[in-house]
Amino acid sequence: MKKIVIIPAYNESGSLLQAVKDIEEHAPGFDYLVVNDCSTDGTLELCRKEKLNYVNLSVNLGIGGAVQTGYLYAYQNGYDVAVQFDGDGQHDARYLEQMAEELERTSSDMVIGSRFIEKEGFQSSGLRRVGIRYFSLLIRLLTGKRVTDPTSGMRMVNRDVMGIYAESYPKDYPEPESVVAILRLGKKVTEVPVVMRERQGGVSSIHGFKTIYYMIKVTLAICMERLRG
Amino acid sequence: MMTVKLQIVIAAAILVVFAVLINMIRRKSLELKYALSWMLVLTALFVFACAPWLLNVVSEFLGIYAPVNMIFFLGFCFSLLIIFTLTVALSRLSNSVRTLDQIVALNEKKLEELEQALEEEKAKNQNHIADNEQE
Repeated sequence: MKKIVIIPAYNESGSLLQAVKDIEEHAPGFDYLVVNDCSTDGTLELCRKEKLNYVNLSVNLGIGGAVQTGYLYAYQNGYDVAVQFDGDGQHDARYLEQMAEELERTSSDMVIGSRFIEKEGFQSSGLRRVGIRYFSLLIRLLTGKRVTDPTSGMRMVNRDVMGIYAESYPKDYPEPESVVAILRLGKKVTEVPVVMRERQGGVSSIHGFKTIYYMIKVTLAICMERLRG
Repeated sequence: MMTVKLQIVIAAAILVVFAVLINMIRRKSLELKYALSWMLVLTALFVFACAPWLLNVVSEFLGIYAPVNMIFFLGFCFSLLIIFTLTVALSRLSNSVRTLDQIVALNEKKLEELEQALEEEKAKNQNHIADNEQE
């Protein structure tokens, strides 16, 4: 089983090294790939200096395009399992092995690390939680499947889904949409409880007016996904 | 109604714009594909400038009271159409950029890895030669 961690990085030179160390220490069965999304804070230089395994995008693509680059790499290099992992210190590499076990045991196509099963650790702020609840409800209404944490950036997929994502992946705010995309194709999605930390570097990309855009865009995207099925 | 003077001025202006358009296509700073719609609208304007009575005929046919209103309305519709076409083109373009960016990134990585392997191979060979010479 070849397994890889995809770390999309946009201006995360402050926390990136920590994340890589975390993976090397707590998830030794995994390779990793940093996708530098045209950072302006010297992330690229850091990758070079520390000899990290990285790819460098010459044009900023946003989170969707960066993650897709990772899936493309994983797919081309014959990996069986790929997992997304944020470089800002929110995610804990200790859960990766557990997620891989769950993927195999339940023969799922995707395993999501969910904050809201055991409700432990950083639970996101109040309003955000309401938003996540709403997406969860929407997905349930449209697909009949239960996903407690559709916005989680910690998700592991098998080779099958990797291929699908390498082919097409949403551009911005991709998480809920991409889950619905594979649910539509009849893929099996399960969740395991994880504890997430508050981010240690960087700021959330979603604030102010972007919140409204985010809610509307993702709602429409999910509905569109349903229409495709 | 239009005076003959105004008619001539408008027709001349259209011809100038047409010339600019053609020159831009010639110098390849404008894609013929996107210029076609502009050529179409210029031709229509030219026809109306030469024969203003046609405006009355068309607006009567469409049931619009004033020919001027019709010009505004059609112009507006046409602008929307062009903007929409542009959004479609933009979507396609941004998808292409995305794919290209990703391919470039992955190829760059492959190249770097190959270069590194080559370096190592070279160093190994050199050591080998040095060893042989010592013997």
